[in-house]
Amino acid sequence: MNGLLTASSRATAWATALSSSPAARRAPRGSAPTAVVLVAGALIVLAYGQQYTGSVFVLSACYAIVTAGMAVQIGFSQQIAFSQSVFFGVGAYGVAMLNTHLNMSVLLATVVMMVGAALVALLLGSVVTRASGLALAVATLMLPLIAVGYVSASGYLGGAVGAPLTGTLWPSSASSTAVATVGGGLIVVVLLALVVFIAARILNSDIGLELFVLGVDERTAAALGVRTPRRKLELFVLGSVFAALGGAVYAGTQQFVPETVVDPTAELALLIMLFIGGRRSVIGAVIGALVIQYLQGASNWVSVNILVVEGLLLTVVLLVDPEGLAGIVSSGLARLRGKAAATAAGEAGDTQPEVAAAAADISLSGVLAGNDPTVHRDGGPRNATLLDVRGIHKEYGGLRVLDDVSLTLPERGLFALCGPNGAGKSTLLNVIGGSVPPSAGQILLNSTDITKRPPNERFYQGISRTFQAVHLIKGRTVLDNVAVACLASHTASIVTGIGRSRLEAARAKAARTLADLGMAHLADREVSSLTLEAQRMVELARALAPNPRLLLLDEPASGLSEEQRQRLAALLTTLAERTCVLLVEHDLALVAQVSERIFVLSGGKLVFDGGPADFRSSPVVNSLLVGS
Amino acid sequence: MKFGNLVIAGIVTGSIYAMFAVCVAVWYRVSNILNLAVGDFAMVGALSVDNLYRVKGLPLPVAIITTLVVVAAFAYLYDQVVLRLAQDGKRPIEGIVVTFFFTFALSFFIDGVAKMLFGSDVHAAPALWNGTSLTLGSLNFTRAGILVLACAVIIGGAFWLYIRFTLGGKALEASGENSVGARIVGIDTRQYRRLIFIATAVIAAVFGIVESPITGYTYLSGATISLTGFIAAAYGGFRKPGRALLAGLFIGVLEALLGGYVSTQYGDTVMYAILAALILAWPRGLGFESAVSG
Repeated sequence: MNGLLTASSRATAWATALSSSPAARRAPRGSAPTAVVLVAGALIVLAYGQQYTGSVFVLSACYAIVTAGMAVQIGFSQQIAFSQSVFFGVGAYGVAMLNTHLNMSVLLATVVMMVGAALVALLLGSVVTRASGLALAVATLMLPLIAVGYVSASGYLGGAVGAPLTGTLWPSSASSTAVATVGGGLIVVVLLALVVFIAARILNSDIGLELFVLGVDERTAAALGVRTPRRKLELFVLGSVFAALGGAVYAGTQQFVPETVVDPTAELALLIMLFIGGRRSVIGAVIGALVIQYLQGASNWVSVNILVVEGLLLTVVLLVDPEGLAGIVSSGLARLRGKAAATAAGEAGDTQPEVAAAAADISLSGVLAGNDPTVHRDGGPRNATLLDVRGIHKEYGGLRVLDDVSLTLPERGLFALCGPNGAGKSTLLNVIGGSVPPSAGQILLNSTDITKRPPNERFYQGISRTFQAVHLIKGRTVLDNVAVACLASHTASIVTGIGRSRLEAARAKAARTLADLGMAHLADREVSSLTLEAQRMVELARALAPNPRLLLLDEPASGLSEEQRQRLAALLTTLAERTCVLLVEHDLALVAQVSERIFVLSGGKLVFDGGPADFRSSPVVNSLLVGS
Repeated sequence: MKFGNLVIAGIVTGSIYAMFAVCVAVWYRVSNILNLAVGDFAMVGALSVDNLYRVKGLPLPVAIITTLVVVAAFAYLYDQVVLRLAQDGKRPIEGIVVTFFFTFALSFFIDGVAKMLFGSDVHAAPALWNGTSLTLGSLNFTRAGILVLACAVIIGGAFWLYIRFTLGGKALEASGENSVGARIVGIDTRQYRRLIFIATAVIAAVFGIVESPITGYTYLSGATISLTGFIAAAYGGFRKPGRALLAGLFIGVLEALLGGYVSTQYGDTVMYAILAALILAWPRGLGFESAVSG
């Protein structure tokens, strides 16, 4: 009963999201590439289906199904796994075996193998996706090597000879070869369009933004609430299922599975298609598969010397634009549009001031008022304890970095953490934020023990932070960088990204925060084009946007000028009236000016805890920080 | 004495893996690029010497020297044209993934050219030291195997001495530790990138020439060699030539023992499964984390 209720309410939520959200009234997400693939693909199959060109096209569409999945997994989310050819083989051999031995129709076998591949990927993925970056890449590199050894040695799968199929992808066995060929081609095109639709919608949803952050920096993603282990597993399963689908329709249209489909070179060929087309673009990945298969299929000098051609093409494309053909086309379009806009704008120079002028009169009215009506602060007494750090120890090997540190922070106010280099300040911040586990001790937030909770869960409970070195998401706008912290998609599965997107809601919330900070004019700028001060402000906006209860700031003033520091000080003072701010800072004047209580760490021990007046006069502080 | 002979065979193949792993690791230190084309230089070395000697009828020393000069010139040219455009321009291409695909494209290109020039049959450079296997008790040493080991010891040792005891070696280490810092103190990291790239290409070609009589090469053999070197280098975190060397030897011996005792058919399959399990069990211990962040 409960299940039914939630299901139906979810259905209505979907329906409203699809019909009434402003985004839905425009062309729905992902519809443009899907329509292009569907219409162009169907026309090509109908026109050339029975000729050689048509067969090359259908073959390339089979590979495009795989590369579209790779664009999501490998390009966009940067989870480099060399497992596609293996799952391509699982799909292809699985369909061949089910068809020849059990006489199952190819279409049904395809469905069975997709489910099978999903289960295998879930099992395998839960082991391999515990690794990150290069470890993931090298560990999964073994998979094609293992697979090719197994396939060539096993008699059951046909070994080096390969496995033939009796059935075709087109379900009716009574139809003529011509109908079966064209019909099979059409099925492949429809499936490719479906895959493109799913991939494009996921990438353009709120979950797509999560995946992008995950790809750029896994640690930042976790600090911003992304459930990284789960997303990595979902990506692995998604890529594997698409690869298996590609393999299944390959078997159904070629009616033969050669041993070479699981060869490591098949994996390399898929990667070449992806990188030539454009690693982050779904439609680019499809075009990459088309280009390479077309070149291989052209029976002339090019196909004979395909390795030379592929090597040169890949080198030239990557030199021009690391984002491949899709990147070349989109930057070309942007330049044209820019030229058009420039001529339209005439002499109206775009000497837009950076954050400086605007930030000078930050009103902060919205931020102060708590502009998000969904967040209700219980307005408890100002001095109720929010954070309770109890006896934290941290050791790296034999080196003691934190030694029995205890402190408590109330609901509101500005607190500073000082100390000489290597005193353990950033480590303590990392322990509170959850990215570094303590060796001993407890962290309590509102009397709840969160010591064992991962960073993403601490983020949901209201801990928000900035980093010592700016950790912004390059390649995205300021608006998206702030919107990352406003996502409501963390508990949703990647599949929900196909149905709905709450990205616009997150962007709206981010836009309000930016407006409150007087940074609205920067919203559409790419973050790496900003000055350091503006980048630090964006990071601060990102930390503020989710209305945190505890704000951890790691040296927000480093690299800023005196004037910029004063603006920051004013901002911090206003912030402290509604939330708890813990600041790590080297600038003692700034610290004494803004904070109501100051903690000093030295050699991992808390050596001072008091107000700014005591701080100025304390001999301990003077000898440690000022250098008497 | 099956065990002893398997270990000897394993050490011979392992020393080849080790040398390629060292080549990958040393160049990665200076350039931050993983070189997947290193095995293709080995293939070109072997097939080119074979072609010049057997088909064109040049004397063997001339064939070898010509081959090495051509390989060095090609590596120089590649650095000057492609790597310079990719790395030293206004917008240097960053990210280990994209730069990796440059060497990947290079590997395809070299294979394609080799297919054009040398055809697609199995060939090998002529054996440099003819004769039957030497025996010591019941242990067998193939002459080609001894040559391979000797080359590995000499070249590996020279590399080690260079890095350990010369100023150039120190500068090389510095550019690996911190490229920006190295440049600030006046080390031309680009020069080291070029120097090591050419050196590793020539070393790879030498190993191709010495080793090919044992296994025989086709134009596609390079990828397999690179792959094993790459995997061995991975166990050294891609940055530690010493550990890469040990990993290469370990993989060679493991491969020989599994092939001899477990199954000739499934030996490699089992080996790769063991290697994958090792990475997943100790990603940190094997230096992967530092390779990623560094």
